Amino acid sequence: MTDETGSAREQTVVGHHHDDLDTTTLAYSGQAPSHAVMAQRAHRFGTWYHAEAVLRSMRAFIVPGLLNAVGQPLLYIIAMGLGLGALVGNGVGTVDGVDYLTFVTPALLVSTVVMSVSGEMTYPVMAGFKWMRTYYGPAATGLRPAQIAAGHLLAVVIRFVVQCTIFWVIAVAFGATSLGWSVLMVPIGVLAATAFGAPLQAYAASLEGEGFQFSFVQRFIVMPMFLFSGTFFPLSVMPVYLQWIGWLSPVWHGTQLARLASYGASGPGWLIAVHVLVLVAATLAGVMWARRVYTRRLTS
Amino acid sequence: MSVHEQQRPVLAEPGARSSVISVLERGFSVIRNQNWMILVSGFFEPVFYLLAMGVGMGMLVGEVSGPGGRGITYAAFIAPALLATSAMNGAFYDSTWNVFFKLRFAKLYEAMLQTSLSPWNVALGEILMALFRGFLYALGFLGVLAVMGLVTSWWALAMVPVAVLIAFGFAALGMGVTSFLTRFQQMDLLNFVMLPMFLFSATLYPITVYPEAVQWLVMVLPLWHAVELMRQLSVGYLTWATLVHVGYFVAMTAAGLWLTTTRLRALFLR
Repeated sequence: MTDETGSAREQTVVGHHHDDLDTTTLAYSGQAPSHAVMAQRAHRFGTWYHAEAVLRSMRAFIVPGLLNAVGQPLLYIIAMGLGLGALVGNGVGTVDGVDYLTFVTPALLVSTVVMSVSGEMTYPVMAGFKWMRTYYGPAATGLRPAQIAAGHLLAVVIRFVVQCTIFWVIAVAFGATSLGWSVLMVPIGVLAATAFGAPLQAYAASLEGEGFQFSFVQRFIVMPMFLFSGTFFPLSVMPVYLQWIGWLSPVWHGTQLARLASYGASGPGWLIAVHVLVLVAATLAGVMWARRVYTRRLTS
Repeated sequence: MSVHEQQRPVLAEPGARSSVISVLERGFSVIRNQNWMILVSGFFEPVFYLLAMGVGMGMLVGEVSGPGGRGITYAAFIAPALLATSAMNGAFYDSTWNVFFKLRFAKLYEAMLQTSLSPWNVALGEILMALFRGFLYALGFLGVLAVMGLVTSWWALAMVPVAVLIAFGFAALGMGVTSFLTRFQQMDLLNFVMLPMFLFSATLYPITVYPEAVQWLVMVLPLWHAVELMRQLSVGYLTWATLVHVGYFVAMTAAGLWLTTTRLRALFLR
């Protein structure tokens, strides 16, 4: 615990009591805002409050989380970019006009965050409604269900901004991309993750109990999306009857945008617009759907 | 007082089976009642990998040098490796996450050991369940390979029992390791071992890609032996190395069983 929470402030106030202490001191000082003001604040900043709560609950996993955020790019870049790249070098030589490491790195960035989002938007969402019921507390305060839904998504977005940035730094360090426009891979990766994560969040919220749905999402949506989205080879080398998986997949749309940002992969302008539109539309649809499901479940 | 002299269960019916069979019976009834769909779906994972990597990457890579230096297609190169990996993953996750839950939360083993079942019965029963699953997947996957025309030798039939042997090694060791873990966060450590092992065990490209020092490190990993063994069987190219690979897993299985039984005894009977 100490390595995660050992700030100076924590050491002066023992354990987790500082929160209680702060509000108590505040109350006795006569400066505590009135209930009406507090409620109004919750109403205005509720999304951020809930995001903060979710981020704090992630704190216990900060060490394994960071290890993962650093380890995954390293492993994938070495194994897929360099190892597999050596085979491709002996075969066709270059792919999409660049060496294999350059080709595969933007795709690895996008697909690793999209795969991570399935972990954040399945069991934790179910825990919020069913196992830990962490959504019901905030819902009893001034927070609206829509803010709780958006707060959860916002916390995940913040986590992925960090994760994508780490990946990008490692990619630059390996010479898999060059400093500059490639930094756009960070927002692109985050957008691809929300395009899959927001609808998944709504779906998970709509489930009353866990049967085999989450395992099925993992096996029949997440895995195929990773494998058939032009991650390791251009989508065009696949037979047409498998290419549709890529067209539907946020991983493919995100990957193509990331390739554009990373090494200036060429493509028609309308297609770039389609990639952006698909990702934004899926995110918005997911947010709206989640808002409805959360409202239904938290106000009944 | 030795384990066997401890008091016999009072409630056991006369003639009730109190052996590894009862543990298996429980395992099968769980599958029948609850999770056969999850079980069946696990078969698709290596098949998806084979389709994506074999077909797609195959276009970029062309021919690869297989066992004995013969050129084979990329799909034929990775197929045996995917079978070995799926045997490993199935058995390992069954004997770690699943066992962890039963050990620390459901307290299932505590209950089982209150009966006349011995730690050996419980350990073996759980591991045999993991093997059953591995056997089913191997059989299914071999069928897929045959349909795709990737089987070129009768030795490939031996891939099924060998998949079970590989699963045996990983399940026995996995259960022993799990007995040391007490918190969910520690379970994540297992992923830090499994993912690199999958990526670096010459599964997706030949070991010769690495510098020699790294090659020696890879050769220590169990998955590398599994992959090599499967690859040799898939084309029917057997050498003395084949025996070494088999021996590795026999030793790993024995060590794993010993560890698991000792640990269960230490945890519950003191």
